Amino acid sequence: MTRSHESLVAAQFGAHAQAYVESKDHAQGADLERLAALVAARPPGRVLDLGCGGGHVSFTLAPHAREIVAYDLSPDMLAAVAGVAADRGLRNIVTECGAAEALPFPDESFDVVASRYSAHHWRDLAAGLAGIRRVLKPDGMAIIMDVVSPGEALRDTFLQSVELLRDPTHVRDYAPDEWIRALRAAGLHPMAPVPARLRLHFATWIARSGTPDVQVQAILALQGHMPKPVTDHFAFEPDGTMTVDTMMIEATREAVA
Amino acid sequence: MSDHGEASLVPVPGDSIAEVSRIDPRLLEILVCPLTKTTLEYNAATQELVSRAARLAYPIRDGIPIMLPEEARPLDEDVRLG
Repeated sequence: MTRSHESLVAAQFGAHAQAYVESKDHAQGADLERLAALVAARPPGRVLDLGCGGGHVSFTLAPHAREIVAYDLSPDMLAAVAGVAADRGLRNIVTECGAAEALPFPDESFDVVASRYSAHHWRDLAAGLAGIRRVLKPDGMAIIMDVVSPGEALRDTFLQSVELLRDPTHVRDYAPDEWIRALRAAGLHPMAPVPARLRLHFATWIARSGTPDVQVQAILALQGHMPKPVTDHFAFEPDGTMTVDTMMIEATREAVA
Repeated sequence: MSDHGEASLVPVPGDSIAEVSRIDPRLLEILVCPLTKTTLEYNAATQELVSRAARLAYPIRDGIPIMLPEEARPLDEDVRLG
């Protein structure tokens, strides 16, 4: 029996919803502060949190938006997000379930589309980005944050391999230049990506995704067989902890004069 | 497009307030069918969002619209029953 990628992603995250809501790796970060500043500089509008996961973008932007749609493939994740929003009195967050590649919103309905640590799960990046452009208002802005590939083939293959072993619903961590090309191809106007690094504490990282032990052992074994350019780049630590590259990229719908 | 969406998403008269309140009205204003991008009809009695164009009824579970075609109910069943 085969299942769709979307149903597998929903199951993967539904089973671990609370871990993502409570995750400090996800709830904190300079990128969230930068995101809040970017959105706070605009008139309060309607924001789409695309692939909201544990809802950290929605919670961060709630004070700066008129209305936020927290959108995800996992109903369990959305229920957890709605629960936190209610507990914190964030009344401008609404939740909706769907796929990134088929947004159920009218054209030009959002002022901001923000997406954090989601796009590497999308089956079709081009369709996702075309949808973002479609639902953005003419003066709208997309802000994408994700783990990115270092680009170079040796390190790229390692990164995608451990990501897939950790979570079989992983699709691809794109390199920043792939992001720029994909955003332009979708008719968006990307600015220079802002790079950062994210340290992934190993035990927490694999516990959050519920990675089976056989795959945990495979990740550790792979780490043990990597050459110096890989071990140096990802800053392996004895317990398996690694540091990966992340990126925040803004893109406008219209060219900035 | 959002103007058309608001016009068609009027709850069916006679539904209880409890049922109607199960979905956030702000969400109804900006929902379209993910396949056809056409407007949806809200059926408060069945807690479904109906896309006539796609012939699908998307379920609303615990107040969360599930806008996935694979989770939707094909409307052709209604025609045969009906």
